[in-house]
Amino acid sequence: VRQEEHEMGTIEPTASIGEAFEGQPKLMSMERLWAFSGGPFAAEGWPRSNIHTDLDTAKASGLSTVAASGTQFQGHLAQLMIELFGRRWLSDGTMDVRFTRPVDAGETLIARAEVTNREEADGGVLFTFDVSCANREGDVCLAGTATGIC
Amino acid sequence: MEQAELTSRDWYEGFEPEPLEFDVTPELNEQYLYSQQDYDPMYLDDGDGPALVHPSLLLNMSNTTRSPSHNLAPGVSSIHARDEVFFKAPAAVGQRFTVRWFVESTFEKRGRPYRITRATITDENDKTILVRKVHSTFAASS
Repeated sequence: VRQEEHEMGTIEPTASIGEAFEGQPKLMSMERLWAFSGGPFAAEGWPRSNIHTDLDTAKASGLSTVAASGTQFQGHLAQLMIELFGRRWLSDGTMDVRFTRPVDAGETLIARAEVTNREEADGGVLFTFDVSCANREGDVCLAGTATGIC
Repeated sequence: MEQAELTSRDWYEGFEPEPLEFDVTPELNEQYLYSQQDYDPMYLDDGDGPALVHPSLLLNMSNTTRSPSHNLAPGVSSIHARDEVFFKAPAAVGQRFTVRWFVESTFEKRGRPYRITRATITDENDKTILVRKVHSTFAASS
């Protein structure tokens, strides 16, 4: 059963344009920034200092915050797409996103996807979405498009 | 110019930064699951086949800043502006992966330098796992 759950996503082939989906809220705690950008836990001196993990290093590079790596919240969007399309998305999923502002430690982000197109393709239905990640105040940090086939 | 003399801001069209090899252990993958708050069983060794590498780990390890050729002058930071990502195949935990980069273009927009770098991740069987086009710009602290 679990294998089938991995293969199947939750989106219905009949999903219509305008239908919207939302991921779980994700708190960008400092510990999670360190885990993502600080190198392996077992490395000596962990977490490694860089603009994503250390405020002094970020300020020396002209930033005002530690600025979470964009790939960290790109991962939230990938999680949402895999919930919709199952593990197949790892073989044919795409995303084209722009990063619109730095994300500070302590923000809570939510990934969203809204169907903008659907067409027959590759033995299934190819969905195109407008996608975004934003905090609880609605400040968008990532926006663009993504596709998946079910 | 030798690779070691170039800063990342100087990478030119056609330049191939030094590739990176990395191993994904179950411990490293689980570190990313923690950071992502994503414990889907397919990323864990649950007896249903090999655990899969979390996509955020693949994205993070293929950032251009991961190339051994990457270096920036003090006070200069690289900004990830846009990302076009094409997933090609699931990646299995326990394998060694290689990231290769290729600078596709460099240009200026509104007075800022931009660079588009293609990153390709392959597994130890030379299967393509992911292709990205990373759009970067640079900022200097005043």
